[in-house]
Amino acid sequence: MSGGVQTALAAPAGPARRAVRDPLVAGLVGLCLTAAAGLLVASPAPYLVNALGQLAAFAILAVSLDLVWGYLGILSLGHGLFFAIGGYVCAMHLLAHGAAVTGVLPDFVQFMGWKSLPAYWAGLDHASYAFVLALALAGLVAFVFGFASFRSRVNGVYFSIISQALVYVAMLLMYRNDTGLGGNNGMTGFPLLFGWPMGSPGVVTGLAVAALLTLAAVLAGTRLLVGSAIGRRMLACRDDETRLRTLGYSTTRLKLGIWCVSAMIAALAGILYVPQVGIINPRVLAPDLSIEIAVWVAIGGLGRLGGAVIGAILVNGLKFWLSAAMPEAWPFILSGLVLLVVLVLPNGLLDLVDWRRRPTWLRGTR
Amino acid sequence: MAEPRRFYLWVLPALWCLVHSATPASAAPLDRAAFAADLCGDGAAQVRGAEGLVQAGGDLPADDLAFAGRLLGALAERRLSCRAEGAVLLDRPSASEGRDAVSGAPRPVAEARAPVLGLRQRAALETARGTVALLTGADPAARGAGLSVVERRIATVPAAVLDRARDAETDPALKGTIAGLAQAAALSSPDPARRRAAIAAVAASPSGTAQARLAALKSDPAYTADPAFRAALDAGLAQVSRAVAIGDGLAVVYNGLSFASILFMAAAGLAIIFGLMGVINLAQGEFIMLGAYATYGVQEAFRRLAPGLLDLYLFAAIPVAFGAVALAGIVVEALILRHLYRRPLMSLLATWAVSLFLVNLVRVTVGTQNLQFVMPAYVSGGVPLYADFVMTWNRLFAIGFAAATLVLTLLILRRTPLGLDIRAVTQNRDMAACLGLPTRRVDRLAFGLGSGLAGLAGVALCPIYSVNPGMGSGLIVDSFMVVVLGGVGSLVGTLVAALGVGGANVLIEPISGAVAAKVIVLVGIILFLQRRPEGLFAVRRRR
Repeated sequence: MSGGVQTALAAPAGPARRAVRDPLVAGLVGLCLTAAAGLLVASPAPYLVNALGQLAAFAILAVSLDLVWGYLGILSLGHGLFFAIGGYVCAMHLLAHGAAVTGVLPDFVQFMGWKSLPAYWAGLDHASYAFVLALALAGLVAFVFGFASFRSRVNGVYFSIISQALVYVAMLLMYRNDTGLGGNNGMTGFPLLFGWPMGSPGVVTGLAVAALLTLAAVLAGTRLLVGSAIGRRMLACRDDETRLRTLGYSTTRLKLGIWCVSAMIAALAGILYVPQVGIINPRVLAPDLSIEIAVWVAIGGLGRLGGAVIGAILVNGLKFWLSAAMPEAWPFILSGLVLLVVLVLPNGLLDLVDWRRRPTWLRGTR
Repeated sequence: MAEPRRFYLWVLPALWCLVHSATPASAAPLDRAAFAADLCGDGAAQVRGAEGLVQAGGDLPADDLAFAGRLLGALAERRLSCRAEGAVLLDRPSASEGRDAVSGAPRPVAEARAPVLGLRQRAALETARGTVALLTGADPAARGAGLSVVERRIATVPAAVLDRARDAETDPALKGTIAGLAQAAALSSPDPARRRAAIAAVAASPSGTAQARLAALKSDPAYTADPAFRAALDAGLAQVSRAVAIGDGLAVVYNGLSFASILFMAAAGLAIIFGLMGVINLAQGEFIMLGAYATYGVQEAFRRLAPGLLDLYLFAAIPVAFGAVALAGIVVEALILRHLYRRPLMSLLATWAVSLFLVNLVRVTVGTQNLQFVMPAYVSGGVPLYADFVMTWNRLFAIGFAAATLVLTLLILRRTPLGLDIRAVTQNRDMAACLGLPTRRVDRLAFGLGSGLAGLAGVALCPIYSVNPGMGSGLIVDSFMVVVLGGVGSLVGTLVAALGVGGANVLIEPISGAVAAKVIVLVGIILFLQRRPEGLFAVRRRR
């Protein structure tokens, strides 16, 4: 562990070249772009297109967690919260937009017996405002929570537990019916997307392409980030935070900044996810779902961005297939998969490909 | 203080009854022939007879009441034949033969002339029958049925009837109902002195219903018109309100204590494991669930093998649940966690996989439904202590159980060789290993101990929670917060934190709801960690 700072501060190279020099990430970005182009050229069954788009959204979510877990050593068990913030704001936009165009109020508003949308929904029918609001809200929540935690040096498993409690409390909050956010039924029945009818082949394809392109952009962007000087500082912080702090770097500011970026990426995943599934409800805030994100990352391979994408796509692809084919067996397969990876492949499935690139902080384990 | 008051409550009405039954006028027996004639008469006579019986009901001898009851019943069921020479009771409607209502001699009846009842007569008759049933019913159910009839027309029933019924009642629940009804009736009695006495009597046994009953009197016209009445009512209301507030306070403390003890049970094992090995056991909630299912298994075994001892199954389940879950914990440790001690975040994921596996294993093998438990007498019901505060046995069981667990665990940690080893390894693993302690074996035993404690929590939860495969996930977040707040690895810290979190939850819940309570507790913990990131009682250790 002691060698962490030196290896992390190794010779820099140009930013663009660094992104290309990670063949895994470069390959995945290329794959995303190819898939997006493929969807536009040949139009497969809408079911497949939709599944591909959802997988891309999950992959973005996994990358956002890998950024803090793999590169900063902060395991968040509450990343579902930021995903849900993006999703909820997106759903609010879709409903407000639908209400503005068709004049029909959403179901839950009628169910609560209200005459109009709650006041704080004002302006949400504008897509750009909703988009900015979602990212800003996720960033703000992450900032407040991260500030309170990192400043008092709550870290390691403590941080994991507190973040889990945070998402749990948020779930309880969203189950209430009087919040104006759909309560336990959540929000569904989105009529339109930018004026186009939801569920039409064009919209489905467009969403999937958008998700794939966003995934490619997120992958490239995070790869640039972790390859930069900040990225090396992140690795140093992960490997020996005390030493980095003693050297004069503000680790709190570093962790807080990356934490907020990660939260906003997670919110982005939520924004892309909700129009594709057509529903959001408090179950996305269940602690189990947030843990599952960590499971995707761990299964794919920690601390290498591409691993998170592979893990998210593999686990969720398996889930799409198995929860329809044999729903009872899926939890057993998932738990078995986790145990297998944790015990045999400590660095995830990428261990199968490459044994040497194990991150420093995982070396030297038994 | 309660004793003399209760003494007066019982003795005064009894004395009052004695005095009244001793006066000759009220002891007069029923004029049976006249009563029978009234029932056979026209509508007005029937009402007069029935109401006369109700008015006299408090003082009539039991056999007169029984006689009246037979007649009223016959009239209602059209088995009463009215002849010129007197009323005749028939065995069934339009029978040709019956018995004389007064003398009981057999008498042939050529053609039955059963009196017809109008609506008004029927109501009076029902009240009279209810009164008789209340006073002479054979079992509590019959008397209760009579009471519910009387309750509907309480304004026409004299207080003496209710007093007599209450004094004679042997069933405690029914007795309480009658007393409440008598008080309510007295509160609206036309006699001011009687009303004031009733207010004092209501105030002497405070409860939420008594408070509501008295508060309702504030809108009574007499409250503004009669100063004596107002003074009596205000004094009574103040007394009841104070007592109810104290009782509610006691209930809050009691509920907080019981919730805290459940939290402590759930978190104690977690704290030991966490403190010793730095392993977050996300499967702890599922270990609790396993403990509850082991308890269920013990109950089923008792049902098959020794049905007579079924009530004792909870105690028999204690060692079984501890052993079974400790074994499960040791297996998990040996198979999985042993390899992950240097990677706490990965062990966290591994235990999550274990919990997922356990939940679904139970779901597939046993099913998702709530388990049905037999509740032995010592964990069902409770004893009303003060005002509305009822000390329920199941919560007392949980509190006592947690206290016993605390003492035992402290004894194990402080007084046994294993406890010494655990404390040594917790403080400095490397040093302990250098001194020749088998640290891996200590880990395994400690993990077994921590898991076993979760099993015990499962036993304690059976009488309180619903037991199903998903029960663990509801507990795990709360118990994590307790562990974090208490300071890792400190049993005392866990206890204090459990008391704090449990108390805060119960205190905030009635004010702003369960969700807000959880939010406030979480925010409180985060704020607290700003000052003490290691929790309340961090174990001092060298690294």
